[in-house]
Amino acid sequence: MTTETVGSVEASDSGPTSTGSRTTMILGIITLISLGVLVLFGLILSPADANQGEAVRIMYVHVPSATLSYVGCFLTAIGSVVYLWRKSRWWELVAYAGAEVAALFTALTLATGMLWGRPTWGVFWVWDARLTSEAMLMLLLLGYLAVRRLAADYEVRAKRAAIVGLLLVPNVFIVRQSVQWWRTLHQTPTLSLSGAEIQGLMLFSLFTGFVSITLVFIWMVIHRFRVAWLEEQVDAEGLDTAIAERRAEGLVS
Amino acid sequence: MNSCPAVTIMLSDAWLIARKDLKLEIRSRVALNQVIPFALLVLVLFAFALDPDRGLLEKATPGLYWIAVLFSGLLAMQRSFAVEAADGVTDALRLSGLTPSGIYLGKTLSVAVQLLVLEVLLGVGVAVLYGTSITGWLLLLATIVVATAAISTAGTLFGVVAAGLRVRETLLPLLLLPVLAPVLIGSTRAFEAALSGTPSEGWPWVGLMSVFAAVYVVAGIFGFGPLMEES
Amino acid sequence: MSGVLFAEATGTWPYVAAAWVVVFGSMGAYALVTVVRGRRLSKKVPPEKRRWS
Repeated sequence: MTTETVGSVEASDSGPTSTGSRTTMILGIITLISLGVLVLFGLILSPADANQGEAVRIMYVHVPSATLSYVGCFLTAIGSVVYLWRKSRWWELVAYAGAEVAALFTALTLATGMLWGRPTWGVFWVWDARLTSEAMLMLLLLGYLAVRRLAADYEVRAKRAAIVGLLLVPNVFIVRQSVQWWRTLHQTPTLSLSGAEIQGLMLFSLFTGFVSITLVFIWMVIHRFRVAWLEEQVDAEGLDTAIAERRAEGLVS
Repeated sequence: MNSCPAVTIMLSDAWLIARKDLKLEIRSRVALNQVIPFALLVLVLFAFALDPDRGLLEKATPGLYWIAVLFSGLLAMQRSFAVEAADGVTDALRLSGLTPSGIYLGKTLSVAVQLLVLEVLLGVGVAVLYGTSITGWLLLLATIVVATAAISTAGTLFGVVAAGLRVRETLLPLLLLPVLAPVLIGSTRAFEAALSGTPSEGWPWVGLMSVFAAVYVVAGIFGFGPLMEES
Repeated sequence: MSGVLFAEATGTWPYVAAAWVVVFGSMGAYALVTVVRGRRLSKKVPPEKRRWS
């Protein structure tokens, strides 16, 4: 029994040793090509905006990142609900992968938003409704990730993380609503894509941004999911071998 | 007798738990000897931080008041689960056959009562120490009631999420404070509206905080079961 | 020299470049870390448990 378990671990070297598969390989190549197209159109071919000037180019990566940070958040909530409902380990990992990638895109949204605000408003940060609710989303996601990364029993950690993940969506809605009221009370400028209809090459650049960043998001969630899956297997495996070793010790003595 | 026995059982369990917790608080005097002095200390510290002569304190009263409530309330919530964690009481509670939703409501009620006591004392504190003149009683009372409900419902739910973990003292503020941000915004704005004599601006916030409290009551009633099963 | 003057003098290109570098750099770094972690962990797990390969 013991030798078999150990043997199978060693035999794993023969198989493919990565989180990639044929599908993700193709997906990765398409993603890289689309990112190339995004650079071409976003930075070179598209013109500067009449109001915002060159700063509009930041929008081609900023707006998709912001959208995907919310998509990731929804993915986490869905994964958490399905976990609580069906006790599905698979969905629990989807929730985790979604939250971590969402946290990355939230951070990118904040960073690019600040880099847009500096040349446009003259400051890195204003207490704008969207900026503030994005920052709150980041804090909520960090809370979820803190629970998900607890060193506790699987059941304990998964259930608690799922409750927090499930509440992400109502929290985000209430936070957005409150922050919006809070700011409109004070009549400060809100961040918008300059209202003026963007069209032609600029519209196409934004569209390319959405497509390529969404592809990056999907690729990342799949790979992060697989890494989380492997982590779980290694944990279980480690426990198995530890127990097996203990048993073997008991037999010898 | 009653058309819905499950609800009756839940409410009677809630009453039992709330009475037990409050009795425990009254006997142990931790709230009286530590949490309330801490709350008053926060008020004094704000006065040190913001020059009292420039009228800053009076202007910032709503924000300072609710920050003081949140921070001292956190201590009360930490305690609400610390008393259960000791001596395996959690297991006893689980074996007691009380409904999880009843336990949740009971704990929420006891936290809410403690928060109300804190809020009244802090209210007297700001009126006396910061010289804030108090107007708009109806809105102030409504805000206090709704904000207390919101803080205690969310606090109890996240309290049990963090309960029994080695990192609970650091985890609870990280989880709870971002979630309570809308309540802080709402209660502060509503207080500002009341104190500046424009109560009509404050009522939407009371509505928002009621929605918040309702969401968390539902989440707590349904989420407490799974959370109590494990560990 | 105030920030606005600086922006006028050098244009907004430095900010655009910084934003794009941050986005592509972070996405690349995160992807790299994920792939490397995946490879290291894959060696410890038998192939029949890696259902995607």
